[in-house]
Amino acid sequence: MLGLGIESTAHTFSCAIIEKKGKKGKILSDVRKIYRPADGEGIHPREASRHHIENSSSVLFECLKEANITIKDLNLISYAAGPGLGPCLRVGAVVARSLASFYKIPIYPVNHAIGHIELGKLLTGATNPLVLLVSGGHTMLLAFLNKQWRVFGETLDITLGQLLDQFGRSIGFASPCGKNIEELASLSSNYVTLPYSVKGNDVSFSGLLSATKSIAKKSKIDACYSLQETAFAMISEVVERALSFTGKKELLIVGGVAANKRLSDMLQDVCKRHGSKFFAIPIQYAGDCGSQICWTGLLESEVKQGALLKDTLVIQSWRLDSVKVDY
Amino acid sequence: MLMKLRKKGAEADIYEFKWQNSKAILKIRKIKNYRNASLDLKIRKQRTIKESQILSQVKSFGIPTPLVYFVNLKKALIVMQEIPGKPVHDLPELKIVELSKEIGKLVGMLHKNGIMHGDLTTSNFIFFQNTVFVIDFGLSQNTIKPEDHAVDLRLIKEILNSAHAKIMESTWKNFLNGYKSIVGNANYVKITKLVSEIESRGRYAAVI
Repeated sequence: MLGLGIESTAHTFSCAIIEKKGKKGKILSDVRKIYRPADGEGIHPREASRHHIENSSSVLFECLKEANITIKDLNLISYAAGPGLGPCLRVGAVVARSLASFYKIPIYPVNHAIGHIELGKLLTGATNPLVLLVSGGHTMLLAFLNKQWRVFGETLDITLGQLLDQFGRSIGFASPCGKNIEELASLSSNYVTLPYSVKGNDVSFSGLLSATKSIAKKSKIDACYSLQETAFAMISEVVERALSFTGKKELLIVGGVAANKRLSDMLQDVCKRHGSKFFAIPIQYAGDCGSQICWTGLLESEVKQGALLKDTLVIQSWRLDSVKVDY
Repeated sequence: MLMKLRKKGAEADIYEFKWQNSKAILKIRKIKNYRNASLDLKIRKQRTIKESQILSQVKSFGIPTPLVYFVNLKKALIVMQEIPGKPVHDLPELKIVELSKEIGKLVGMLHKNGIMHGDLTTSNFIFFQNTVFVIDFGLSQNTIKPEDHAVDLRLIKEILNSAHAKIMESTWKNFLNGYKSIVGNANYVKITKLVSEIESRGRYAAVI
């Protein structure tokens, strides 16, 4: 089975080709173009969607070339139908619909967040993990039960990715800012007290964001260090809570913030304490990419026919715990 | 003294212990090396204080909790009475459905007396001799803010929805009935409305 996956939920436009044999998948190509806002600014949905439109054909062309196949070889096309920014989502959906209807290829709308998890499982070999999904759009702890991903904890306001990006932009970086913050943080070991807000299995970051902005006026490096230490300790604590409550023996971390070294070091320590195995998605596939969409579409094709064209819409707010998983 | 580890919890380890010849448990919040040292010390100390205070405080209005025997703040440890029952989480589903009304009542009593539990999971209720005991007050707060009480309810709802998905509807209904019978209809309406508000602030929540 050969699948094409199209991702366009936020700043990334990406196409990927995966070959699926039984339960195994091989990524033949994964090409991305990322919209970069000016320093200190966030994603402008209209500008991002324009970027996606302008780059869509070259990304698709390159992705086919790299995989050494033609569109006619494809068995299915999947696209990220949500959650995400409306104008951006529509670009991917239009490309997918055009190809599917012109070449008569089955089409699959896919939940972007489920895509992060499924690709993580494929690339790490985790079988029954507690999943930590940390990105610009999500901060969630999930476990699979009874055909659905169930939420064991999540953020009550902004996500970990937003926390890092919004703070990073306030000191002049361009999104995504995680890497810049990590670099500055490594220059300090002076911890300044910041609000630590764990509510049961949930976290809240909005107070932490405001407080970090105000201590940054004194020292940017101390602020970066203290922000990381506080936010990651909060995440680690709720992970510990969920591991202990669910008794899961595997932890899988996926999403853009999975690339952060300090966070994964802390979580590795947590896993050691609880005798659980630690899996992190390879950095190259941590962020948004076509592969996550392609692989989920291929999995869905095991149990479902392609969608009718009239049902290939986009859904900006589409929680992953509302998706039935039958494969 | 050699102690037997009973449970490695999320934030503390639980040991079997003897206190003046009666069975006891020792709960110790050990240093977490992954955490910045000063943040770690602050969290462990604060929670040890809160937990030991509130365990005793809530007894005054009839919440069954273990007796606190001894506290060592430096080591962040509490010695308390052992409740030799089973966590509600591990009981048969029918029993959980039945007990959820009682749990609702207990939470109602806490709230009515200005206490937020802060960690309402089914593992933190112990069923022993026909009585439901409440434990784990490390994240508790003295607060009469309706929003804080709503956070408590949202958490237990989330746990029922994830860990007890098959019996979610009946347990939640029973819980709310028990809760309402203690806090009264006006408070019940106010708090449950706030729960919906918190849920609607969640990421990608369906906008109704």
